[in-house]
Amino acid sequence: MKTLIIGEVVDNKLSSGALEIVTKANDLGLDYEIVTVGSEESPNIGSESFKNTYIKCSENKLSLGSVADKLKNIIEENTISLVLAPSTYVGRDLIAFLSVDFKSSQVSNVINFEIEGESVITSNSINGGESEYNSKISSPNKFLLIRPKSFEEASLDLNTNFETVEITSEDPEVFDIFIEEKTGPQLEDSKIVISAGRGMVDSENLSLVQDLASKLNAAIGGTRAIVDAGWMPYSQQVGQTGKTVKPDVYIALGISGATQHQVGMKDSKYIIAVNKDEEAPIFQIADLGLVADTLSIVPKITENL
Amino acid sequence: MKIAVCAKQIPDPALEITYNGGNINRPDEQVLDDTDRYGIEVALQLKEKFDAEVTVISMGSLGTEKGIQQALQMGPDGALVLEDDSLTGSNSLMTANVLSELSKKVEADITIFGTESTDGYSGVIPQQVSRMLGVPCISYIKAVDIDESVTLTRQTSTGSEKVVMPANCVLSVTAGGVEPRYPNFKDIMAAKSKPIERISIADINYDAQQNLEFVDIKDVSTTKQGEKIIDEGEGFQIIIDKLKELKAI
Repeated sequence: MKTLIIGEVVDNKLSSGALEIVTKANDLGLDYEIVTVGSEESPNIGSESFKNTYIKCSENKLSLGSVADKLKNIIEENTISLVLAPSTYVGRDLIAFLSVDFKSSQVSNVINFEIEGESVITSNSINGGESEYNSKISSPNKFLLIRPKSFEEASLDLNTNFETVEITSEDPEVFDIFIEEKTGPQLEDSKIVISAGRGMVDSENLSLVQDLASKLNAAIGGTRAIVDAGWMPYSQQVGQTGKTVKPDVYIALGISGATQHQVGMKDSKYIIAVNKDEEAPIFQIADLGLVADTLSIVPKITENL
Repeated sequence: MKIAVCAKQIPDPALEITYNGGNINRPDEQVLDDTDRYGIEVALQLKEKFDAEVTVISMGSLGTEKGIQQALQMGPDGALVLEDDSLTGSNSLMTANVLSELSKKVEADITIFGTESTDGYSGVIPQQVSRMLGVPCISYIKAVDIDESVTLTRQTSTGSEKVVMPANCVLSVTAGGVEPRYPNFKDIMAAKSKPIERISIADINYDAQQNLEFVDIKDVSTTKQGEKIIDEGEGFQIIIDKLKELKAI
């Protein structure tokens, strides 16, 4: 099945989301090429093992609509039937635009897929990962948004061997581009992640989490509830609409464990949960659950480490 | 200025979603998806500044229309809703087809959404509607600054960026982007007399196809033999010991 993987440039390299999909494409023996979207001058996105086309946009334009136009041409010219993109901001916009162009609805939040003749079977995780919802796409064009961390990242020697297509367009101007400074361990690759939920009661108590995280060299995450409440930026949200993490140790503090949160962390190797509600669903997936007052326990752990 | 703002009625999000075949079970009484309150708030701020007319658009099984009422209580002028049995189990594109047609019906200059619904989570409807309407999509808005022009701050994977709102466009607003207003008693009463127009699929230009077929739902749950301990004062030490055992410290 002729396949296109949509990647992005992250830290001047091909995004991990694209490299994860490469692993699956190799496993299935798919005939694939990659299109990478970015604005960098000379990113390391090429490889000897696949064809890569670089769609270079101006960082000062909101040009994803024009990028989709270009992708549409590539899909038609190369008679591609399967299009795979990581479920990122850019991936979601592009897949949505293309699904309209080809009159084929996408499947979002896919955690796995298989080829069955001319069809593709997709799996979604529902009920906090306790069930898998399987669908079959039989339209000629198939668009999938893949959840990050669904597959292992392919390790490849990347180079600058690719073809560049520049986008010049009349798209809306973008200004005041702000790059969030990345300090300390990052959610995506930290061995320990500590997440906070409503049980921390007040945003000021997050300093307790911060202190513990510093001692453990851990990244900090949060639930949708506290992100919505403005305690933490969206970039730290763990769960269905936030990030997926799979650290060696995940410590859930004052998190009840809504299914939307579980989807983003249930595959952590070891889960420690502290919550004062004995019935909190988080205890069903925790390896070690402590029924305790989170606010008083956290500083005690920090002090005694 | 005319604004269409999308409101989705969803089952009570505190309860676990259940399925009938591949479709989410929808009780007669559904509530407004909290995610949509952010989009509605942006619409209302634009209404206050530019004297815009704001219409709630919605599709799906209407039931008691509680969620539509909750949307109207915040302050929109009226609603245009579409219910049709043939839309049960719609894919994203079918939904976007209906919503883009509803946006056209109210002659909206600006069409506003949340970023993804709490029950479906497909997260692509605003972008699909923009493509169907042929207007730019300003997605993942996390801040709105309304002056003579409107400056929108977008969330990006590395931080944020700003865009001036075009005259015709689709917006998607992230949760937490603005502070949704709470209706007071007067607002709740006033909403009851606001016009709700109900139309059917025959009234719109609809040509989307179902290309997805439900296969099955498989139980993949693994019962974890986790330990649950009630803290009797030494709980912190149990966690420290475990962290040592896991070589996390």
